[in-house]
Amino acid sequence: MKTVTSNAENAYKLPKRHAWKVFRNQQYLYYMSIPFVLWVFVFQYLPLWGWTMAFQKYKPGLGFLDQKWVGLEHFSVLFGDEHFYQVLRNTLAMSLMGLIAGFIVPVVFALLLNEVRVQVMKRFVQTVSYLPHFVSWVVAAGIVTKMLSTDGGVVNDILMNLHLIDKPLQFMAEGNLFWGIVTGADIWKETGWSAIIYLAAISGIGPELYEAARVDGASRLQQMWHITLPGIRPTIIVLLIMSIGHLLGTGFEKQFLLGNHLVIDYSEVLDLYALNYGLAMGRYSFGTAINIFNSVISLLLLFAANGIFKRFTNESIM
Amino acid sequence: MKVTKKGTVTTSLLALSVVVALTGCSSNKGSSTTEGTHAEEGSTSGTSLKPITLTYFSEDSSTNWNNMKDEVGKVIAEKTGVTLDAEFAVGDPVQKISLIAATGNYPDLIAAKADVGKLVDAGAILDLTDLIDKHAPNIKKMLGDKLVRTKYSLDDQAIYAIPTWSSVDEKKFKTDGGFELQHRVVKEAGYPEIRTVKDYEKVIQDYIAKHPTDENGNKNIGLSLNADDWHMYQVTNSGFQTTGGPDDGEYYIDQETHQATYHFRRPEEKEYFRWLNHMNDIGLLDPESFVQKTDQFKAKVASGRVLGLADPEWDYGDGQNALKAAGKFDQTYGHYPVTMSKDYKDTNFWPAGFDGGYGISISSKTKDPVRAIQFLDYLASEEGQILVNWGIEGKHYTYENGKRTIIPEVQQRMDKDGAAFQKESGIGLYWNMMVHYGDGIKDSTGNFFTRNYPEMLTATYNEAEKETLKGYGIDHWKDLFPSEEEFQPRAYGAAYTMSLPNDDPAVILGAKMKDITWKRIPQAVMSKPEQFDAIWDAYMADLEKAGVEEMEASYTKHIQDRIKLWSNQ
Repeated sequence: MKTVTSNAENAYKLPKRHAWKVFRNQQYLYYMSIPFVLWVFVFQYLPLWGWTMAFQKYKPGLGFLDQKWVGLEHFSVLFGDEHFYQVLRNTLAMSLMGLIAGFIVPVVFALLLNEVRVQVMKRFVQTVSYLPHFVSWVVAAGIVTKMLSTDGGVVNDILMNLHLIDKPLQFMAEGNLFWGIVTGADIWKETGWSAIIYLAAISGIGPELYEAARVDGASRLQQMWHITLPGIRPTIIVLLIMSIGHLLGTGFEKQFLLGNHLVIDYSEVLDLYALNYGLAMGRYSFGTAINIFNSVISLLLLFAANGIFKRFTNESIM
Repeated sequence: MKVTKKGTVTTSLLALSVVVALTGCSSNKGSSTTEGTHAEEGSTSGTSLKPITLTYFSEDSSTNWNNMKDEVGKVIAEKTGVTLDAEFAVGDPVQKISLIAATGNYPDLIAAKADVGKLVDAGAILDLTDLIDKHAPNIKKMLGDKLVRTKYSLDDQAIYAIPTWSSVDEKKFKTDGGFELQHRVVKEAGYPEIRTVKDYEKVIQDYIAKHPTDENGNKNIGLSLNADDWHMYQVTNSGFQTTGGPDDGEYYIDQETHQATYHFRRPEEKEYFRWLNHMNDIGLLDPESFVQKTDQFKAKVASGRVLGLADPEWDYGDGQNALKAAGKFDQTYGHYPVTMSKDYKDTNFWPAGFDGGYGISISSKTKDPVRAIQFLDYLASEEGQILVNWGIEGKHYTYENGKRTIIPEVQQRMDKDGAAFQKESGIGLYWNMMVHYGDGIKDSTGNFFTRNYPEMLTATYNEAEKETLKGYGIDHWKDLFPSEEEFQPRAYGAAYTMSLPNDDPAVILGAKMKDITWKRIPQAVMSKPEQFDAIWDAYMADLEKAGVEEMEASYTKHIQDRIKLWSNQ
């Protein structure tokens, strides 16, 4: 699905007539792909039909042709709402923080873990680190709020015992801290899991490279910097481009579960906005308009990121 | 993720073919509205008990439903000839109703609750006015002049649903709301009168000064609130409850002029929130009040450390049950009619009257609407009411000296093995399929229709609760509160039961106001006392800027329309 193609492969082009011949030769492969093409079509493309709702005053129960068409009205309401820009800011801020942290931390973690020479220790750390990934956000958010509680929360207890603070801190009541808490919780939950893919890529690097480096007198750090890191560079870039595409679609579970009314100015994200002002109020059309905006921006970001990386590093996912 | 040029072309081609398919679907409409004429034909077969199966869909789940194989169900089937093939909503019921409306596969009986409008728009349900008039003497008798309250709207005065959720003429016995204090707190203080927020504050303060921690050294908490997500309503409702306003949702409605005001805009309520701010300032308010999640709140209540609450019992009940199970009865709660000053009456028992509201509709495609309405009418008869509430005579209840009582062994099973017993007996299962009398209404034998009556309530009190009630010289918590008779009935019922169109200004602006309020109230309460006024002023300015007056005007119109609809017979 997401293959890395280099320019060299693209350069090889078949003459027109040969294309048909090749198709005939490979026809069984094409037949075999039909179910999957259908699957993608039914579940990924067909739902796009629902986008028409954004241009209607949609009422359930009426047939498609009985709906009233309103043009771009829902979009103008959306862009005219001040609240929307605040929500957009929160979404972008938390996504960017998540993107940067979620990109750097797992790479560093994988690099460090790779240097652990005691196999048992390595396995143990790896397993422990990715376990939180399997915990749902509902539970994870419960753990986070409990840890940060002023009423017997571990974090406050530790800070108090170290005499760093003299009164428990209200972590969850401070808007300024919210983005950080969300990002932190995300890192705790996902670092181990994201690191797996880098560890796999690292194990694919030939040992002879390290041997050669050692012969040349490279230190452990130099080996990491000059061999391991360049070795997993394609993986890093592909994952980075893909997560840029997800920038606006970070979901809302974290914010929904960790947020409260005191920090709402910092916690409300686009998906929550669509939920509260669209679906929950029965404004299906408005909700759809928000979603279209979301998808369009995501696509633009993805193409932009891809273009930039293509130009500077010759790596791309398309 | 990947969208190629070729992909877009294929999609648009395929999209085109979908258009064609959909046009085909929506071609035959409008045939459904005329089918009401069946009613006339059916009237001759009035007393027929020929077995018939009706399909039924309800938005509420019913986990103990047993396909009418239960004892009560068998009797109903025998008396009416009707067997229900029922489906109950799983997950989001709104989606299912939308689907029913969209596909045209209407069940014979549909309980769509607040979403009845979707069915009306699709022409899926019958106007029941004539059917009730001709075939439903019991429903007519029970609703009487309240029948007008079941009308849909001022523009469309049809009756689309038989109101089976709301109780008729209910007199509540049980106190659910008010402010709560642990029994040990009032006991220690010697059962003083708890009438104003100052009284309430004082007993908590005195107790906490003496016992800052519980027996295990954990801190006692003065007052804790649950403001998690929509539970915020429970916090803000105290605003009007302590200042003499009845529960009309987010509005205060002037009983003379019927002008609606967003209730936070009343100066009286500012003083309530100022008091909360003061409670926070002196450390009696749980600092986590606006941060904690519902489960944390319940866990706190269950730990027995929270001395006071201002929350309805259905919300903190789980926590209190844990206390009961642990035998910590003196840490469970009593209810007190706390207001800002003695000039205000607590409005917990201000009757809302019968509000029409949620109910069962009959599909426009049903084969025999008369049998359907007769089925519903049977349940509304005295026989039906007693059957559904009490079960079968001799099997579940007996008359002792003319007093209807549940057989003790049956009562035991109800208490211990409720779910299985309900599945087997069916008692209570059909509660919201019938128009029903509320608690405190007596039948022709002089017994109560429902199984909730004062003696039953007494039986649920634990020792500590009885001691406190005795300390105050009362039988029930209700005796502390102003009674129903002290209030004028509201001409519009309870405002919050009104369902408004999704795109109404009152709805859209209402959502904005809610966001502002839910942000500002916690901010105001948690601020330093000297900042309170500034924050409150900014809050009021925010509301005005967001169009609160337009919203109030729109809501006022809805209220006045409802009064007009309900007063024209």
